[in-house]
Amino acid sequence: MDETKRKIGKACRKFDEGKMTRRSFLTKLAALGVTAAVANAVSLSPFGAATAWASISGPEERAWALAKEAAAKASKKTLTLLIPTGSIGNMTPYVDKWKNELGIQLEFIEEPDEVVHTKGMQEAVAKTGRYDVMMPTAMSYPDWIDSGVIYDLTDWTDKYQPDLFNKQWGVVFPASHHAQLYNGRVAGLLNDGDQITLLCRSDYLDDPDKKKAFADKYGYELAVPHTWKEYYNLAQFMHDPAKGFYGSLEYRSPYYVKWMFMQRLVSKGKLYFDADMNPTFNSEEGVAALEDMLAMNAYLHPDAFSFTWSSNYNAFGRGEGFMNIVWPSGFKYSMAPSTGPATTGKIAATVMPADTLKDGSKLYAGLFCWGYGYAVSRYSANPELAYAYSQWMTSPTISADAIPYLGGYSDPYRINHMLEPTERLVQTYTKPYLKTLYDNMVNTVPDFCLPGGFEYQDALDKQVHACMTGEKKPKEALEAAAHSFERITKRIGKDKVRKSWLALAKNLAEPIKKASGADKWPDA
Amino acid sequence: MPSKKLTLFQAALLAAALAVVLFPVFWIVMTAIKPPTDWNASPAIWMPSQPTLVNFKTLFDPDALKEYGVGGVSQSATKAVFGSLLASITATALSVLIGLFAAIGISRYGAENKSTPLVILSGRMFPPAAIAVPFVIIFSNIGLTDSYVGLIAIYVAATLPFSTWMLKSFVDDLPREIEEAAMIDGTSRMRAHLTVTIPLIRGGLFATTMFIFILNWSEFMFALVLSYSNVSTIPVQLAKYVTATAGTLYGVQAALAVLAMAPLVVVGYLIQGHLARGMTFGAIKQ
Repeated sequence: MDETKRKIGKACRKFDEGKMTRRSFLTKLAALGVTAAVANAVSLSPFGAATAWASISGPEERAWALAKEAAAKASKKTLTLLIPTGSIGNMTPYVDKWKNELGIQLEFIEEPDEVVHTKGMQEAVAKTGRYDVMMPTAMSYPDWIDSGVIYDLTDWTDKYQPDLFNKQWGVVFPASHHAQLYNGRVAGLLNDGDQITLLCRSDYLDDPDKKKAFADKYGYELAVPHTWKEYYNLAQFMHDPAKGFYGSLEYRSPYYVKWMFMQRLVSKGKLYFDADMNPTFNSEEGVAALEDMLAMNAYLHPDAFSFTWSSNYNAFGRGEGFMNIVWPSGFKYSMAPSTGPATTGKIAATVMPADTLKDGSKLYAGLFCWGYGYAVSRYSANPELAYAYSQWMTSPTISADAIPYLGGYSDPYRINHMLEPTERLVQTYTKPYLKTLYDNMVNTVPDFCLPGGFEYQDALDKQVHACMTGEKKPKEALEAAAHSFERITKRIGKDKVRKSWLALAKNLAEPIKKASGADKWPDA
Repeated sequence: MPSKKLTLFQAALLAAALAVVLFPVFWIVMTAIKPPTDWNASPAIWMPSQPTLVNFKTLFDPDALKEYGVGGVSQSATKAVFGSLLASITATALSVLIGLFAAIGISRYGAENKSTPLVILSGRMFPPAAIAVPFVIIFSNIGLTDSYVGLIAIYVAATLPFSTWMLKSFVDDLPREIEEAAMIDGTSRMRAHLTVTIPLIRGGLFATTMFIFILNWSEFMFALVLSYSNVSTIPVQLAKYVTATAGTLYGVQAALAVLAMAPLVVVGYLIQGHLARGMTFGAIKQ
């Protein structure tokens, strides 16, 4: 990788010196694995190719320089990372480089993903110093920062410029803010673009008989759905339980079902709270969202009520459904012949469907849910080294290299991953899907990235699930969840959560802010 | 043993009960020898299409599953098996040993303080989750987190109430006149307990040891909370068989579960005579 970079740097300098034509420069960069879009941007830069290339690789180089300095003075030559089980594949390719060039051993402590948050909170009281870098989801940051277990990274990011918000290779807005900041301060560096998108079976969409039958029945052309209504129609049309083929594989299982609700709620123009922390999902929009979900139950895979992420991916890969709402890893899964024998080469993906607002306009809203990132432990013996690792791994260049490795959860999250992808990223995700990811991500709404976030999420999940199983009516379930939310807010402290909520809402995509009224809310 | 034949209804009931009890065992064993394509198939595959030992191989060679195109396993289970054996055997031995003498003490000399057994049992009245975090704080202050010494200490603390109570019932059921007879013959109190009491309750001792070993062997919460990288046990390792490329590795989990069951089945079989005697010992009242 270093040799390639050296060659790219050399080519850039030759081009700047006029020793190479633009055509041969682009050919050279293409041969070195730089995509046409990046090569074009570099060659057309008003500052010169070398400067443009240095910019995109700058965060990596600044991080490496800091890592060298911190490693040289580190008394402990091991950097220990707390990571969720199943994520190591994106990190192991760099272990030798850190050992050979910096003398730093990377030690990975793998824990089941559901206990990573607890392990962090445990470290807040135990203060063992066992971890240097911790890899939670964005929802952990508020509780971890407040309990003092991780550093506020703002001073480091100001100094070493990881280019989190850069227009060309920064983290895609609004995930750049929702999944990395807590109350406007940098709490962690995102390394996983977990958003949910919609997958469809392209072979069914392309079937001429189905095209005709669909158009005859619904009066419009068979295509990927753009609205929830179209999604429902498609599920109904494709549902063929006698052949073991179902309309959709949307989750109805505990823990996952809240995301299905949150997604639909936001596309109806409602958020989770108003500006004063009163729950807003127990509104007519919330009830309508639950009723839509109940109507969809008739066309879901029978295992929808027990799906985990992996059993859902397995079922879709086996060809048991027409649509699926999944994370980008679900797309990778369905693409690979080993895990998606029935879906390889047969997937059409699209952004999450829009809903029609009262004024007749369409609102597209995605959900940025889960999404791992790197945080630096307060009790680390070498916090600067830990920060350097985090910036280096998430830099535009290294992250683009790391994401396509199998055996990890990391999915595209920077602009260059999606709009200026490397060949390996294209091979892993395909160009159309990367574009879909970008188009979806710009409209994403965050999880409960608030103090007590896991409690809010859990309270909502229980009630939505109770509604889906018929235990409670929609209004009754949402009122119960709202009651729980009020208690959680009261216990944590309304002012504290409100400040955090307003900070989150400030960085929503403009259409969602406008539809929900958050554009008129005060600053945090 | 009764020689009376079962009625058809009784036999059917027994068969149904056995089917319910043995189904999870059957399913785990079958899953352990299924190739990845069969783990989570729909409809479920009862018997593996092509039985394989690859799941067992993966436990000790994380790359073994790659022959099926499944990667992402990063840890061998060797350390977890070793850790479980070390922690469970040591903690069981200590728990039973201390519990035995506590039981004799309470049964034979504790008449003046009737609340002692209840106080001992109160240690088990807290849910493990409630006491796990305080233990983390204490252990991290004294350097016992992520160490087998710490894990064994907490296992002993957690199981001692059970071993004491179980063994106390066996000692209670042994007529104290037998020990007194030995003492009349000139043996000391301690020797009487060692040569008379303990051999006579050995059925109960085996049963208690087996029970405590099962508790320690299957313990999850303390091992999870108190471990980082030095300590590993089978139940914690089971929760870690999730990969990004294949999801939950049901076959490998099942293989480790089969491996975890094996010592209990073997030891249980070997001591079944004592076990039966131990379990029924309390029924023989003075």
